[in-house]
Amino acid sequence: MKLRSKMMKVIFLTAVTLSLSGCWDHKELDEKAYVIGIGLDKHKIEGKVKVTYLIANPEVGSQQTAGGANEPPQEIVTLVADDFISSRNTANTIVAKEISYDLLRVLIVSEELARDPDFIRIIYSATKDREIKRSAQFIVSRENAADFIKNNKPKIETRPHKFLELMIERGQETGMIPEADLNGFFRVTESDADLYLAIYATTEKIEKDEAQTTDDDLLAGEIQVEGTTNNAQFIGSAVFKEGQMIGRITGEETRISSLLDNTWATEDILTAIKDPFDERYKLSIRISQKRENKYKLIPEKGRPTIEIDVPLFIEVYSDPSMINYAKNREKVKELKKSLTAAIEKNFTEFVSYTQQELKGDTFDLSIPMRKEFATLREFREFDWMKTYPDAKVKVNVSIRFGEFGRQSKLPKLEEVRD
Amino acid sequence: MLKEMLTLLKKQQKQASLSVDKLEGEQTSLKEKEFSRNLQGNLSILKHLYSIPDNKDIKLRELYLEGFNRQAALLFISTITDVKSIEENILKPLTENTSSDKKVKDIVAIQMVHEITLYKDAVKDINKGNALLILDGEPKAYIMDCPDFQSRAIEKPESEILIKGPKEAFNEKAVANISLLRKKIRNENLIVEAVEVSQRSHNDVFVLYIRGLANEKLIDNIKERLGSLDVNSIQNLSLLEEYIEERNYSLFPSILSTERPDRAASFLEDGYIVLLMDNSPDSLVLPATFWAFFHSPEDHYLRFFYGNFTRALRMTALFITIFTSAIYVAITTYHAEMIPPDLLLAIAASREKVPFPAVIEILIMELAFELIREAGLRVPSPIGPTIGIVGALILGQAAVEANIISPIVIIVVALGGLSSFAVSDLSLNFAVRLTRFLFILSAAMMGIYGMTAVFVGGLFYMVSIKSFGVPYLAPMSPNYKSSKDTIFRRLTKNETLRPGFLKTTDLQKKTTGE
Repeated sequence: MKLRSKMMKVIFLTAVTLSLSGCWDHKELDEKAYVIGIGLDKHKIEGKVKVTYLIANPEVGSQQTAGGANEPPQEIVTLVADDFISSRNTANTIVAKEISYDLLRVLIVSEELARDPDFIRIIYSATKDREIKRSAQFIVSRENAADFIKNNKPKIETRPHKFLELMIERGQETGMIPEADLNGFFRVTESDADLYLAIYATTEKIEKDEAQTTDDDLLAGEIQVEGTTNNAQFIGSAVFKEGQMIGRITGEETRISSLLDNTWATEDILTAIKDPFDERYKLSIRISQKRENKYKLIPEKGRPTIEIDVPLFIEVYSDPSMINYAKNREKVKELKKSLTAAIEKNFTEFVSYTQQELKGDTFDLSIPMRKEFATLREFREFDWMKTYPDAKVKVNVSIRFGEFGRQSKLPKLEEVRD
Repeated sequence: MLKEMLTLLKKQQKQASLSVDKLEGEQTSLKEKEFSRNLQGNLSILKHLYSIPDNKDIKLRELYLEGFNRQAALLFISTITDVKSIEENILKPLTENTSSDKKVKDIVAIQMVHEITLYKDAVKDINKGNALLILDGEPKAYIMDCPDFQSRAIEKPESEILIKGPKEAFNEKAVANISLLRKKIRNENLIVEAVEVSQRSHNDVFVLYIRGLANEKLIDNIKERLGSLDVNSIQNLSLLEEYIEERNYSLFPSILSTERPDRAASFLEDGYIVLLMDNSPDSLVLPATFWAFFHSPEDHYLRFFYGNFTRALRMTALFITIFTSAIYVAITTYHAEMIPPDLLLAIAASREKVPFPAVIEILIMELAFELIREAGLRVPSPIGPTIGIVGALILGQAAVEANIISPIVIIVVALGGLSSFAVSDLSLNFAVRLTRFLFILSAAMMGIYGMTAVFVGGLFYMVSIKSFGVPYLAPMSPNYKSSKDTIFRRLTKNETLRPGFLKTTDLQKKTTGE
């Protein structure tokens, strides 16, 4: 009896204390403003940044009956703050709901700020905030981030999170833009051996006089598009060294980077390459990587040699010279030879570009290379960042052909024209 | 206040136990007497005991037996005896008999005839529907077996419905129920013992087990428990259940109740003990583990894959019932970052105009659902469908349109509610539905962390409780030798062992087929 009344008391008291103390992080979903993207720009005053919030309106597009049909799908707020942590409260002077980073998808930094040596001080706040996920993508915009966010108005995917998600995912599949999450930025910066690639994007159009000769050797803004579509372009990468932007590479170079990189899977690279049978035309090919690259380090005095074997799976989708190589073994051999040579040349050129201009590799080369060292200290003493520009890099491409289009045979030109 | 209530309760219990010692108004002293040689004396005592002529259905027939040259009397309760049998098999042979050296036993055409000397026994047997014959000059009485209680016929089961399998169900007549079991187990070792459990109403409980299989200690334990009850009346098994179970305040049931004789029979064959009682259209199976409540006989009647598919479905349904609402509450209030963005925005949009926090919303709908369920159960059948329409349509639709409830909550609660019906056992169903509220509250207070804590605590509890000495989750945890019929079943031919936790005399129930 006594025991029971004691138990009752204990249960009652714990219930009371729990109900008084609980609900620490409690916040209802509809009381939060969901930030999809954060834009960061330089401000005149040193130590300050301009923070732009891209806030999604949940009521648009998610439900038929919810109303809010006349509301815009997004809200953009730009303000000056010390960093993007404290700016949350400042933003609440304009935005009614609590600013939440739960849905934060992208971090957009203007090229101007990214090239600033102090940029690293600002970006590292992202590691402090609990809500910012390391999977957020890192975008560098040619113009001010605020302008980029303002001008980026997708016509069909009006909800901002959907547009950014799909845009980035597809861009990464085609290899036009790099896989650039925040985690990678911190990892590469801290390991201090490779260069980091961020997505390069813009809403500005760069007018070029000359006619466009390639489909992918371009940077964001250089693609000539007509029609009534959104004016944002996502192609190419911004190259970061030690937390500071040092240059940009084009879409084609980004694709090469992705092919040289084992940690990064591109599935669907459609590109064109010179037709070995007729100088006037180009062959459309689809490149994918079915097998992993192999890396080898041959340490020599002063100048180590690096060998990279890149197995490629190529499907050739066009035959503008109408040579019907698919049925001809000799021609296939010839095709393979010329493709290998052309691709190897591209790769080697890119590698020497990174060695001479960027002074570092953009394809996480240090990761497979670590295996070649017995201890971590050895690797650190080797100082990859310093050694790489002087290394002799040899890229061997081996090609395996897939199918040559759905219909491999083409009619003979002479017969058709007869 | 609680303390006062408890002391009051205890006092009541004390009073109750006192009154049982002497059953007032039961004329116990009269009953202890023996029959005398004087017929009129005997009759006057019986008249007094049965309040003749106030008691209208007690029939006393006095007659003169020519063959014996004696006065005699026949006493029976006409509503519970087979009157036709009395007429043809007792009265007729007795009156037509002319020889004086024949015994009563030899004259009447009745199955069983006992001779008794105590009024106590006479009363007991008459109350069971037997007829009593007294002859003048004999200090004893004859009990003739001819009971005929009214009851319904054997019908289809109503709460444990199967598509495939036998369609007989227990009814309120224990004799019929035992007959149904005997039909399935044709073995002389199937023992039917009767234990009287109440003093005034004299309710019998039939303890069924297979001698040579069931654990003797367990049988003794149960008989002892039944015999030690000190109650005036226990009408049926549902009431008895509470008297003999070990943990009355536990959320989980520890005795299985089934209305299917095929199920009861298969439990008997595995060495379990089955209790039957008049007035109960079901049987109690003990000891019962969690799996007994979770299983349905159809799992074995269906083919291997079909049966296991239903098991998987039922397990999923069980977890859906317990967790969906709680997970919704936890995620929307604490872990919003876990939800995919499209869904998160959709939930946020639908909640925009809802005035309550997610917990209250869920609790309102859960309560509404339970109300519809309870009301639908109690409502007279002609207006039953109306309740469904009013409940589902008006409550759900209108609540959403009035912005009291967000549509996603309707989905969540309806899913949980629907899944709860897949847990067919009534007791486990209640247990699951109640724990659901526990999880909702813990989720509202401490999110997924709170839910995990309660779940772990609940598991500890489930592992610790026992039903008649058998761990609740056996044979899974603790592990016992058995056919491993837990979440999934094995091929019937591979289920060769009786459950080890029952400590049956014979563990093997079939050869391994090798």
